[in-house]
Amino acid sequence: MTMLADALFSEAYRFTKNRMTVFWSVIFLPILLLVLGSAGQFFLKQKMAQITTDPHLPPGLLSQGPLDLGHSLVKLAGDITNPMLLLFVLIGTATLYAGDYRWETWRLTSARNTRANLILGKVGVAKLLTIAAVIVFLIFGFIGELVKGAIHGQSYVFTFGAREAGQFGLLALAGYVRIVQVGLIGLLAAVMSRSLLATLFVPLVVSIGQFFLMQTMPLFGWEGTEWYAQAVIPGLASDNLKSAIIGGAQSAVPDATVWAAAISLIGWCVVLLVGAIAWFQRQDLSKE
Amino acid sequence: MTSVIETRSLTKTYGTVRALDGLSLEIPKGGVYGVLGPNGAGKSTLFRILLGLIRPTEGQAIVMGGPIGDVKASRRMGSMIETPRFPPFMTARQVLVWLSTAHGLKADNSRVDAWLDRVGLTGAADRKVRGFSVGMLQRLGVAIALITEPELIILDEPTSGMDPPGIQEMRALIRSLSDHDGITVVLASHQLLEVQRVCDRVAIMNKGKLVREGSVSELTTGGERLRLSVKPSEKVLQVLGAKGSKEGDAVIAAIPRAEGPALLKALIEQGVDIDEARWVGADLESVFMTETGSVQIPEAIQ
Repeated sequence: MTMLADALFSEAYRFTKNRMTVFWSVIFLPILLLVLGSAGQFFLKQKMAQITTDPHLPPGLLSQGPLDLGHSLVKLAGDITNPMLLLFVLIGTATLYAGDYRWETWRLTSARNTRANLILGKVGVAKLLTIAAVIVFLIFGFIGELVKGAIHGQSYVFTFGAREAGQFGLLALAGYVRIVQVGLIGLLAAVMSRSLLATLFVPLVVSIGQFFLMQTMPLFGWEGTEWYAQAVIPGLASDNLKSAIIGGAQSAVPDATVWAAAISLIGWCVVLLVGAIAWFQRQDLSKE
Repeated sequence: MTSVIETRSLTKTYGTVRALDGLSLEIPKGGVYGVLGPNGAGKSTLFRILLGLIRPTEGQAIVMGGPIGDVKASRRMGSMIETPRFPPFMTARQVLVWLSTAHGLKADNSRVDAWLDRVGLTGAADRKVRGFSVGMLQRLGVAIALITEPELIILDEPTSGMDPPGIQEMRALIRSLSDHDGITVVLASHQLLEVQRVCDRVAIMNKGKLVREGSVSELTTGGERLRLSVKPSEKVLQVLGAKGSKEGDAVIAAIPRAEGPALLKALIEQGVDIDEARWVGADLESVFMTETGSVQIPEAIQ
């Protein structure tokens, strides 16, 4: 355990010194979305002001009710798996997973720890990075909602009971696991290819491939709720989980599908991690 | 334990190329041990196997009492393989803190400063390594090898890319690590003169095999030659035949010490005017050339 902690702390220390990567993978997108979102709302407000000057419209037609920040939070948690956030988090995880190949620094670290610990240390930091990216995304998204309300002159309410809290927590957890799972495709690509570009692009290409597979499933006679479809397409499993969480007790997604989806996502994580460690264990870590 | 490294029939093949060919070697504890060989002799492959970076095809090696990959044993040694590379966004100090943490050590500033000072990088402690010269990277690599206070250090080409004062400082550092800190230093180098000056024992490798091993004095003693300042030198060369060669104005006689008096007597009898006659020891370079059959002089000593 001590040696695993050594691997984790040293990896975390090095990653925090890589400020550009931290910026791009954690901070950039939430700021961009906040700025673009606020600008968009401001533009919308201007347009609405023009429309409301029309004397033919009944008064109060376009006035908005209070903004429910509790529901906004739940919606934001459902957006964690959006492709943009995934892409920017992958920049960070790719640097973590492929950095030692790129800088040839395995020779400095590999003699003094087990190879499994070195990989687990990286995965641990990638998980922390993902948590940080998700939290910053949620915080800036929440600020964006506040700005939106202020621009439109809305009052705020905060409906966040047990149901909303449960939905928020489960959506955030499912989204987090999905991002980690896509990142682990990058880990396997990193140890197999030793290439930073492959570590970044293979998960993206696989994700795009899954999207097309989901669209063409009916051609194979696959139902989206079947276990085998979810086992092959973890993206589908993630979507099913999301639908089930949002639908709650009234959800049309059967319980068996929810379990299959959860097992698929976690199973993929385990398989990818074990595969990467197994490959790394027998790998020559030196260029000849 | 009397040896820090022991290899038995160590073999590494890359396709049809045998980088190491049944190498059996024992490196004793203490002192500075040099591994010499021309390019492709298998030195770097040997070091990489000892550090667990690559796996041998056959054979085995014991390092610090444990088999290759034994982390407990590996934690008792430091290493620098060729010119080290580091994440370019880090400073020298950060690199040392990072690797101290990775090696399970407390990375306090005084400790880091002490090692930076020892390798002459105090002034560059907070500079990003992307701007470092090769020599500075080498120094930082040595500091990293030392920060864990190991019992064994493996250095591959530690003076590569360094200027002459840097080489001299590195030589002094290596000697002091052995003499004052009691660390066993194993190094590979092309710089034969440097090896002769700094090493206690030497192994000469060629084509993946060990061709000669022993203390520097053992290796060089057997090759003594008689250096003669004589006139006319042509007559002496005629007498010596294949055993004679010209070196500047002098004639070198490659003969055993016992034959010296007889040769001098014969030359005097033939009316040769002898200004000076003295025995000179063979240097490592000539031993290296003989043992490896090298026709070209290695780059570093040209």
